[in-house]
Amino acid sequence: MARSSDRPTRERRERRFALVLFLPAFLVLAIGTTVPLFYLLWASLWRIDLSMPWLSGFAGLENYAKMAADPRFWNSLGLTVIYTGSTVVFQVVIGLGLALLVLRIPRGQAALRIAAIMPIVLAPVVVGMFWRTLVLPPDYGLLDLVTQALGLGSHNWLGDPQLALVSVITIHTWQWTPFSFLVILASLAALPPDVFEAARIDRANAWRRFIHITLPMIRPAIAIIVIMRMMVALSAFAAIFAATGGGPGTATEILNLYAYRTSFTDLNLGYGAALAVVLLAITLLVSFLMFRLRRAA
Amino acid sequence: MSRRALRALLLLAGASVLLAVWAFPILWGLLTSLKTERDVLAYPPKLIFEPTLANYREVLFGSASILPNLWSSLVVTGITTILTMLLAVPAAYALARLDLPGKRSGGFYVLATQMLPPVGLIIPYFLVLQRVGWLDTYQGMIAIYLTFSLPFAIWLMVSYLEDVPREMEEAALLDRAGRIRTLLYVILPQVRGGIAVTTIFVFLNAWNEFLFAVVLGGNRVRTVNVAMFNFISVEQTLWARLAAAAMIAMAPVIILGLLAQRHIVKGLTVGAVKGGGRR
Amino acid sequence: MTRDFDDRATRCRAINRRQLLQHAAAFGAGALAAPAIVGNALAQQAGIGSYQQAKINWRQAAGEQITVAVIPASYFDNLISLAPDFEALTGVSVRFEKVPPGQIRQKAMLDLTSKTATYATHAADPMYYPLYVSNKWVEPLDRFVADTTLTDNAWFNYEDVLRAWRDANSVEGKLYGMPYDGEVTVQVYRKDVYDAKGLKPADTLDQFVENAKAVHDPNNRLWAVALRGFAGAGQNMYIYPSLFRSFGGNWFEGGKIRVNSAAAVSALDWYVDVQSRFAPAAVRNWNWPDIADAFSQGTLGVYIDAHSSAAVLNNPEKSKVIGKIGYARWPKGPNGKRVTSIWNWGFPINAALSDKAKRATWLFITWAASAETQARTSWRFAGPAKRSGVNRTSLWRSPDFVGLMRASGSNFVEAALESLEQDTDVDWRPRVPQWPAVGETMATAIQSALVGQKKSKDALDEAQTRIDQIMRG
Repeated sequence: MARSSDRPTRERRERRFALVLFLPAFLVLAIGTTVPLFYLLWASLWRIDLSMPWLSGFAGLENYAKMAADPRFWNSLGLTVIYTGSTVVFQVVIGLGLALLVLRIPRGQAALRIAAIMPIVLAPVVVGMFWRTLVLPPDYGLLDLVTQALGLGSHNWLGDPQLALVSVITIHTWQWTPFSFLVILASLAALPPDVFEAARIDRANAWRRFIHITLPMIRPAIAIIVIMRMMVALSAFAAIFAATGGGPGTATEILNLYAYRTSFTDLNLGYGAALAVVLLAITLLVSFLMFRLRRAA
Repeated sequence: MSRRALRALLLLAGASVLLAVWAFPILWGLLTSLKTERDVLAYPPKLIFEPTLANYREVLFGSASILPNLWSSLVVTGITTILTMLLAVPAAYALARLDLPGKRSGGFYVLATQMLPPVGLIIPYFLVLQRVGWLDTYQGMIAIYLTFSLPFAIWLMVSYLEDVPREMEEAALLDRAGRIRTLLYVILPQVRGGIAVTTIFVFLNAWNEFLFAVVLGGNRVRTVNVAMFNFISVEQTLWARLAAAAMIAMAPVIILGLLAQRHIVKGLTVGAVKGGGRR
Repeated sequence: MTRDFDDRATRCRAINRRQLLQHAAAFGAGALAAPAIVGNALAQQAGIGSYQQAKINWRQAAGEQITVAVIPASYFDNLISLAPDFEALTGVSVRFEKVPPGQIRQKAMLDLTSKTATYATHAADPMYYPLYVSNKWVEPLDRFVADTTLTDNAWFNYEDVLRAWRDANSVEGKLYGMPYDGEVTVQVYRKDVYDAKGLKPADTLDQFVENAKAVHDPNNRLWAVALRGFAGAGQNMYIYPSLFRSFGGNWFEGGKIRVNSAAAVSALDWYVDVQSRFAPAAVRNWNWPDIADAFSQGTLGVYIDAHSSAAVLNNPEKSKVIGKIGYARWPKGPNGKRVTSIWNWGFPINAALSDKAKRATWLFITWAASAETQARTSWRFAGPAKRSGVNRTSLWRSPDFVGLMRASGSNFVEAALESLEQDTDVDWRPRVPQWPAVGETMATAIQSALVGQKKSKDALDEAQTRIDQIMRG
């Protein structure tokens, strides 16, 4: 430990050093995210419609008031909830199931891990295009090939409103389940084996062993997966954009897509900004709640 | 014994299905990329056909070559990755180890910036870049890419830096090695692995980015993802060529992914336990 | 589509060889430039020669640099490959920026709003002129046409440019974008299938349905019909307006846009009915390339789309129906009208340019729209993709063009030309500044009806509410 006489200066020097290291990144983030955020909030109070510039002007909360009576907004909000909720649940449940399964496979885990990494490293936009052009088209697609071979017939996976929603949820789940699978697998593998041994001696059956021993121990990992995947699902864009563009009609138009289409197709930037602010508020609210829950647990 | 064999068989079958579900779409793409357009449109789909490399030739050296787009992707991604790491490692060190004033709120701030939905930021980005004339330029694109790479890289690095035993650092400081020298010669070598993983993740994220690239890019800076997306919207869709282009665009990330396979799993886990990643 | 960019030597040779004939036919003997000697310099001169008959100073804006946004399509690629001739002729340098069709409108518009004048001109959608004009983002072109220092009309012959397309690009009688390439929608049908069943291409929409019933045989992988089902102002909102108008729909009632009238609902019902009864299920996501692909594989009886899609059907790399294709005009609707698209890509002049840059841009536009360049990018083009959307009456009637188009299939030229001359309708779509939002709203509504998410009436009512809001601002 340092001598007391030069402690203040040393502390000051360390603080200064810390600031010097931290400030560049901080400034980039402040300029790159916080300033634009305020700009966005500000823009959402204006009417900025590039197709009707003569109407541009301060609008106060008008953009927000407009949302209440906008069925497309409510539709997109509902879809966001469905999309986020279902993809997160599927990822966790399937990932957990697979991890438990794979843990028992003595050999070949490495091959599985490699297969699991493939979807994760791909660009969502490429995944969306892949599914749209190779997997989902009726007659020519991989999926139809399978369903027809199984006698389940041909389906218009992206053309039917319900199926399209199922399809985009499937695409997201396909791409990201490996993530939760890998994380859960890693945390399961890190559990001390003696816990299981003790339980086995107790003759606890497999299900109870899972509920009472395994699950509580990997709960922190699951909580983190849920939080992370929710954030990602809430900002999902490229895969749906490439696969359906939000269609057919508005069947897969989650809030992100609606904000994008409003801003860059209808060129109504003010309303688009307001939609983005709502999305942002939801994201922050959800993450706040999740962190609270996690701390409580 | 036979029950055990049966169980093993079932497990194996389950695992194979799993493998197929994840690997098959990509293999299917590979097959498609080796077909002629006529074979692609054949019904029922052909599994046996005469493979051709013509699609790859066309995509790489033909009139609609994606080589310039690969270059764009490489420049944007490469420079973004380097700058991100240069900024993120010191910041992460300050957050993880030093007596940074307002450390907690600083850390939370970094985490929060990561949650902003890109769709929300794209409007201000667009308007600002337009004003300064940086649309469709490398500097504009890289500046924007930094904003989403940084928080993620900082958090991942923090989680690695926290694992370095404090004693090493203190020993070095007692040796009167300066702070900078301690960081460079004592700490950083300890987190080599973490730096590698973080670099790979930053690279992957930037390479895979689409929304910013499509809105803020243009003719000069058009990443390979955007170029590929444009394949399906022009005149007619050439499925086989699209598949070939996709294969080429995927190659770097798949190779990186495989090379760093073990680290990626670790990176995902560390990230998952300590912070998070935005994809 | 295969493109031929840089094979300059081949191209020049081809031009030279053919030029003798072409010039004699179309422009009189004065244009006869270099005879048989083949060389780059001479070829270059040949590329300039015929333009120099125009009594204007082509070099008046020399030194200017302009950027032109186009879409990546063979008809623009052909033009781009001739651009060095333009640069040699005028001393103006041109940079082309290829922007995908899905983004060109937004990119152009964002450039126009910010007045940065990045694009001197761009391939413009005719539906956007009302918006451009109401914001004074583009120049009226009539004064450029009238200015004899800029246009020698004896050479340029403005009136020869297809009237329907000029009208489509005009607002209150003034031209704002010079048509460069365009298309008409026609019926494309399987002549062999129709002949075998003794059918004729439909003359009315009712007959269209009757034909469909006779042809439809999905068990043998032959679906009777496909019309664009994909959502988009340029996709399903490209087919629907023709139906709407031929069902007697009017976009405006009492000065307001009206999209949920009885005629509108019947037109949409017809669209939904035909698509769901006779089209492959996947059609809901199909744009024209997908439809042309399916047709080229022999799985469709008829479709209605741009005449230029014929190129895909006659691509030997892919198509199985070459020689089996017939063409006809749009069927008549209940009100006895046939309504075809007036789609064309035109070139406007960005109002934010300097005066000299405007002149340079105009020179580019007249060069691109001139009969000479039009011919050189069409039948005289050396590459495989010869344009079929030339912008002039004289060219559509020229034996060379007709000869080129004949190969596309039976009755092609007649169907396209008659459509062009008789079936175009300037009020095909509602021409209002708010079109971008209106078009997308309609497209979304149409698609939700096509996929059965909503009933036609409900979808259109909802669109009406939204459009009222948009128009009210």
